[in-house]
Amino acid sequence: MSATIGVDRAPSVGASVRGLLRRAVRLREIQLLLAIAVVVALSAIAHPNFVSPGNISFMLADSVVTAVLATGQTIVVLAKGIDLSVAPILGIAAVVVGFPAQNHNLPILPAVGIVVVVGLVLGVGNGIFVSVSRIPPIIATLATLSVYGGLQFIIANGQEIVNIPNAYDALGNNDVVSGIPWILVIGVGIAVVVALFLRHTNLGRSIYAVGNNADAAHRSGIRVQRVIFLTYVLSGLLAGIAGLLYLCHTGSADSTTGTDSNVNLTSIAATLIGGTTLTGGRGGVVGSVIGAVFLSVALTAMVFARIPAIWEPAGVGLLILLAMVTDRHSSNLAARAHRHRQAGP
Amino acid sequence: MSQAHRRTVQDSRPRTPSVEADSGGEPSPGTPASGSTRYVVSHVSKAFNGAAVLHDVSAVFEPGQVHSLVGENGAGKSTLFKIMGGVYHPDAGELALGGERLSDLTPRSAMQKGVYLVPQEPTLMGHLSAAENLYVGTLPRRRLGFVVDWSRIHREAASYFERVGLDVDVETPARELSIAQQQLLECARALVHNCRVIMFDESTSPLTSHETEILFDLMRALRDEGLALGFISHRLDEVFEVSDHVTVLRDGRMVASAGRDEITRDELVTAMIGRPIGVRTRVRRTSDVTDRREVLRVDGLSSHSVFEDVSFSLTKHEVAGLAGLVGSGRTEIAETIFGLRRADAGEVFLEGEKLEHRTPRRCIDAGLIYLPEDRGRNGIFPDVDLTRNVTAGVIPGLPLRWGLISAAREEEEARESVARTSVRASSLGASINTLSGGNQQRAMFSRWLLAEPRVAIFDEPTRGVDIGAKDDIYDIISDLATSGLACLLISSDLEELALTCDRVLVIYEGRIVGEVRDEEVTTARLGELVVGGARP
Repeated sequence: MSATIGVDRAPSVGASVRGLLRRAVRLREIQLLLAIAVVVALSAIAHPNFVSPGNISFMLADSVVTAVLATGQTIVVLAKGIDLSVAPILGIAAVVVGFPAQNHNLPILPAVGIVVVVGLVLGVGNGIFVSVSRIPPIIATLATLSVYGGLQFIIANGQEIVNIPNAYDALGNNDVVSGIPWILVIGVGIAVVVALFLRHTNLGRSIYAVGNNADAAHRSGIRVQRVIFLTYVLSGLLAGIAGLLYLCHTGSADSTTGTDSNVNLTSIAATLIGGTTLTGGRGGVVGSVIGAVFLSVALTAMVFARIPAIWEPAGVGLLILLAMVTDRHSSNLAARAHRHRQAGP
Repeated sequence: MSQAHRRTVQDSRPRTPSVEADSGGEPSPGTPASGSTRYVVSHVSKAFNGAAVLHDVSAVFEPGQVHSLVGENGAGKSTLFKIMGGVYHPDAGELALGGERLSDLTPRSAMQKGVYLVPQEPTLMGHLSAAENLYVGTLPRRRLGFVVDWSRIHREAASYFERVGLDVDVETPARELSIAQQQLLECARALVHNCRVIMFDESTSPLTSHETEILFDLMRALRDEGLALGFISHRLDEVFEVSDHVTVLRDGRMVASAGRDEITRDELVTAMIGRPIGVRTRVRRTSDVTDRREVLRVDGLSSHSVFEDVSFSLTKHEVAGLAGLVGSGRTEIAETIFGLRRADAGEVFLEGEKLEHRTPRRCIDAGLIYLPEDRGRNGIFPDVDLTRNVTAGVIPGLPLRWGLISAAREEEEARESVARTSVRASSLGASINTLSGGNQQRAMFSRWLLAEPRVAIFDEPTRGVDIGAKDDIYDIISDLATSGLACLLISSDLEELALTCDRVLVIYEGRIVGEVRDEEVTTARLGELVVGGARP
């Protein structure tokens, strides 16, 4: 009896004991924070300006769009899916509110409503193809990447947004208090909401279960396809919001916004670097957000090191590979598979 | 590998085209088997994750004989075949084929040496043609060595197909073949590779009796050609029909081995079940319980070609057993009741109320739960901690605080539930993968207890757990029944059913063929019923 848990442990102790999963995630987050510290330290030695308040604020603000996209991507990946269409969803949201904002001074509140609706609708499209038509997510969202990308072209119609109202610019670039930009506050707020959602709501918990073992989830009474559907809806919603943040932060948008800067890749990179695994059920948004910050810091460091910008995509790719190689879990998986081959069932 | 023998092997077979003529020394179909084909297994032991599956088993597979392995599920029959076929490596003991010691056997090297295992489920490549499946891995090529010689493959495949009695076009995709045809194709594959030892692992369990006869005719023909054949079946009739020699395994040990004519059916059943009955007293009896309201009624449930017209009911406080061979439809019946499969006909009532459009969620909410047979695949969330594994069945009902699931109160619920089933773990935060099989299964019971069921279906609840945990699980089931739960216990372990059940329904090929209750529930009686109905 004494060895039985629930008998010999006080609740307070139990509450403080976190699962191996969470411990592993925390470890990953710490690894990432250390990596950020190393990059910052090295860059600061070479270029003291790197740690100026202005640059730090810039790097953090710059990571918000990626971070918001990555939270959506993380939700999808946790349920063992992938969303390759976040780039044009971001782009469509940016141009759909960008033109009326530029030409008719559309106020910011309706703009928020519009990007939310746009994101939800496009996310519902992905969800239908994946969970109703049962098209493998990589194919379904690759197809909608093209469809949505085409829509963005049609909507933008060759025009460009170069001039946004002050309210938008303030949201994207002004500080709440000195050194803390509005966009950073919004990004952190979204991350906190999504993190709570994943850990403390019915749907969030079901997402982990589905990603971990869809069959067991089904047998536990979870409506698996409905959960998968909703992950794409949420990813679309967050991509739509990211589109508005992008518009506010950069002050521009056109027919290839999102796809040209390859935000699909960076959203997946931040998710994977943050420790969420493509095999599903493992990871979380906190890691993804730190992953986004890490990407921003590393890419800025490249600029400071005078590495030409054309190296940026290669850098992102290498960071993904580096993250995979150092991922404790993926090496564990390999070891487990190896043992399995040797030992049988 | 003597030339002389190569010739005798070739000569003893009906005329089939030689495929080794111009393959230029590479491993190819037709590499002959070695010397004699006597396959000797001596003192083989094997354990998985510390649980012994085979212990010091020896057997000889003689050329010109069909040698059958019989035993209950988990006795180690398939494991022995897999070791002989190079799928697993033995922890101890030796294998020898025709005097040559076989070490570090792999499925490929076993085939090259002349040993072929026809697996439980044929493992053909569905989109490749039947002919290509014969040669896959060693496709014969044209002289220069680059281009696959399709005309030769098709020509030769046709002659092998004829030899095994497979009447299909050689270009038919393998996925269009019936299971029986796939079995024959597997035999042809063994012959293409000149195998002299062929093992059939429960090959007949998915076959109809007519298809079984065709397979048996082929087995007899191969035996008469001097091949050594191994055979596993749960149907004792089949074993007696086709075997020359029978070896009985029980709990990984060889308990009997005799010629077919030297052992009777009764002796075989006794050897299989073996353990002296009555050492453990029966866990419980409910004859003294007065409240015997009907809780679950299953009425005329059918699923085409899986099971038919299954009707039974469960009352409060009752543990009913469902006995039957693997493949008899037991699990499918349970999954249909629980809404995992669609029924073609029939209804399920819970306390008089019809359960319509059954899904797992609706069943759980109505108070019906199902503990699946394959814990690893259908039960646990491997990377998730114990708490969340335990609460997974009741996520919508978890305690909320400010609209969010309260981690502390959720842990409290999980804690109480795992205490009820005595899960032993370092903490609630431990990943379920770190627990032993028995503790994982206790955790699965905890999960379902949280759902506060009125009816529980337990499918092989003690599979893959150690003896101590088994007894605990019997106690848990018994306590649940005492507290009023109606339980349906599906098990291949007849002793388990005899120990825990108040009555047992026996299912054979998808139909309920018998019901025994109270004092009639004995392993001997059940053993008779599960292998083919009551015998005079």
